[in-house]
Amino acid sequence: MADKSTGAHLLREYETVFLVKPDLTDDNVDKVKERVRGIVNRDGGKFLRFTTWGKKKTMYPVAKQPRAIYVHAHYLGGSALVSEIERNLRNFDEVSRFMSKKLGERVDPESKPVLEDVKLSGDVDDNKPLGGAERDAYRPYDGGDEGGFEDNSFEN
Amino acid sequence: MSTMNPQGERSGGKGGGRPAPGGDRGDRGDMKDDEGRGGRGFGRRKVCRYCADRNVKVDFKDQSALKYFVTERGKIIPRRISGNCAKHQRQVAKAIKQARGLALIPYLMLQG
Repeated sequence: MADKSTGAHLLREYETVFLVKPDLTDDNVDKVKERVRGIVNRDGGKFLRFTTWGKKKTMYPVAKQPRAIYVHAHYLGGSALVSEIERNLRNFDEVSRFMSKKLGERVDPESKPVLEDVKLSGDVDDNKPLGGAERDAYRPYDGGDEGGFEDNSFEN
Repeated sequence: MSTMNPQGERSGGKGGGRPAPGGDRGDRGDMKDDEGRGGRGFGRRKVCRYCADRNVKVDFKDQSALKYFVTERGKIIPRRISGNCAKHQRQVAKAIKQARGLALIPYLMLQG
């Protein structure tokens, strides 16, 4: 009860990963990202961070393409916001696949700062489909702990 | 000419060549180590790696962690082999399925 009186405006924490077609330029990817950011800000959410994983080799062809650009969005909002984002992603021709996941319940927006967007290089080497060591070293929501999995001892 | 089978002369003994109950069961050496496990099994007890390190969370984006719970063919490894506890096996299985949906992990790896 005491919680309710103090936390007047609590939101849920979500993440959405979407795959963009690999032939898109950085500018076009940025346009898609800004549209998603605009939806979150318009619908009463708080956008925290975009992480672009870069062009990666997919494990099976997605939209008849062997690679895709992975973009990870981290934001706060309500359930209606998620369905609105997904409805829009479905309409974007550039986006071939997406998935949203809830990370936390009853999160105070003030406790989560807006972070700078991150852009990773992706898989440079085609012979390394499981690559992304750079991304493995990076954890978007680990709560600041050391938190690294014991086996991410790749070079880098 | 037919001759007597030499085995016929030995047939008087009861049970033929069967070992007597309680007799020699073969030389198995010292089995004291296996007594607690019904005389079967060897090797060490498996530990759930997510219980061992509480800081690590199951994450569908972490391919390098999830690949330890998937066979070369892409099938989910059962927990009797991987050693996961029931709770984390459920989480791992879900994460693998989510990662498959984003093409981070294969549904099926064809061999040969």
